[in-house]
Amino acid sequence: MRVGEQQLWQWMAAGLGGDAAAHHHLLAALLPMLRGFFRKRLPGQGDDIEDLVQEVLIAVHSKRVTYDPARPVSGWVFGIARYKLADHFRAKGRHVPLEGLEDILLAEGFEGAAIARADVGRLLGLLPPKQAAAIRATRLEGLSTAEAATAQGIDASDVKVSVHRGLKMLAARVAGGA
Amino acid sequence: MTDLAMTNKGPGNEALISRLAGEVAPVARHGLARRLAAGLGPGLLTSVLLVLLVLGPRADLGAAVLHASFWIKLAYCASLALLGSLAVARLARPDALSLGWLAWLALPVLLLAGLGGLQLADAAPGQRPLLWLGSSWRVCPLLVLALALPVLGGLLLGLRWLAPTRLVATGAAAGLASGGWAAVLYGFHCPEVSAPFVLLWYSLGMALACGLGAALGPGLLRW
Repeated sequence: MRVGEQQLWQWMAAGLGGDAAAHHHLLAALLPMLRGFFRKRLPGQGDDIEDLVQEVLIAVHSKRVTYDPARPVSGWVFGIARYKLADHFRAKGRHVPLEGLEDILLAEGFEGAAIARADVGRLLGLLPPKQAAAIRATRLEGLSTAEAATAQGIDASDVKVSVHRGLKMLAARVAGGA
Repeated sequence: MTDLAMTNKGPGNEALISRLAGEVAPVARHGLARRLAAGLGPGLLTSVLLVLLVLGPRADLGAAVLHASFWIKLAYCASLALLGSLAVARLARPDALSLGWLAWLALPVLLLAGLGGLQLADAAPGQRPLLWLGSSWRVCPLLVLALALPVLGGLLLGLRWLAPTRLVATGAAAGLASGGWAAVLYGFHCPEVSAPFVLLWYSLGMALACGLGAALGPGLLRW
């Protein structure tokens, strides 16, 4: 169930006044929203996702003083979630870029992006062509799995498996200093 | 109860929620401003005492306040301090908020630059270096920076209670605010009032504080 902004705001306002039940409702409603947020950005990293959800819940609880009642609750919560995600990426350092590549290319300057692309291109050259093509289509060109499948003439689950295996192999190579 | 039967994965966070909900305290209205003020206050007080007891107010303060140039200097520094302080209050929240209004920082700078240009054009060529170097240009930026340190420390402490997400920008804003307030206070000690001097050396002191804040932000403000 997706709780509306109005309902979140009422719970938040009551919780700020010291209403424990409303605060409980708010945190419980945020839980699936936060899991969805991190699952989408850290696919297949269950433990990290739960850790990040926990950090955000604690921050929502302990940093309530920074919430401005004139602004949406969800914007405030996702502001915290984005910060915790960025912090997570920073802590993980070089092991992350392959997963968050689009964001990194957008966030950094053109020169950095060009160098990153060249590096990724070189790394992709190390993979079997099918895996490289699947990663290029879904992670670099921004196609959906279904679109990539149609473009390559294979089925969608095949694309997913190729991306997964390819990223795993690249992560291993990067970690090994390839 | 509404939908508390959530996904079954990871019971830890469900337990956490119950625990957190058990320790709910009311949050004071304007709590954010109070936290910042609690940090800013002692820092400012320290700098005020430093000006009064260590540097000492300028000897001719009583006569100086009768001249517009004293108030122009004060207004310039106070406007930058105020904009920096507002930016700190904005950046202390995790919501993405526009900071486009910080372009207003250009207004006092441009006004003072215009006035400085007029003063330089008016002066005899031999007098011009005196207008922009005065007699204390070597120490002015460093003293402004030194007076900014207690204020910056207080603001950064206050911010640790809050939730800034852009740590370099937040540190820079805290640095600008502290440099601005320090420059206001330094103006009560320093007898220089010419527009070119204030524009160059007071601003340099504020810029140093701003840069220091930006450098310290990522290390000190993480949460």
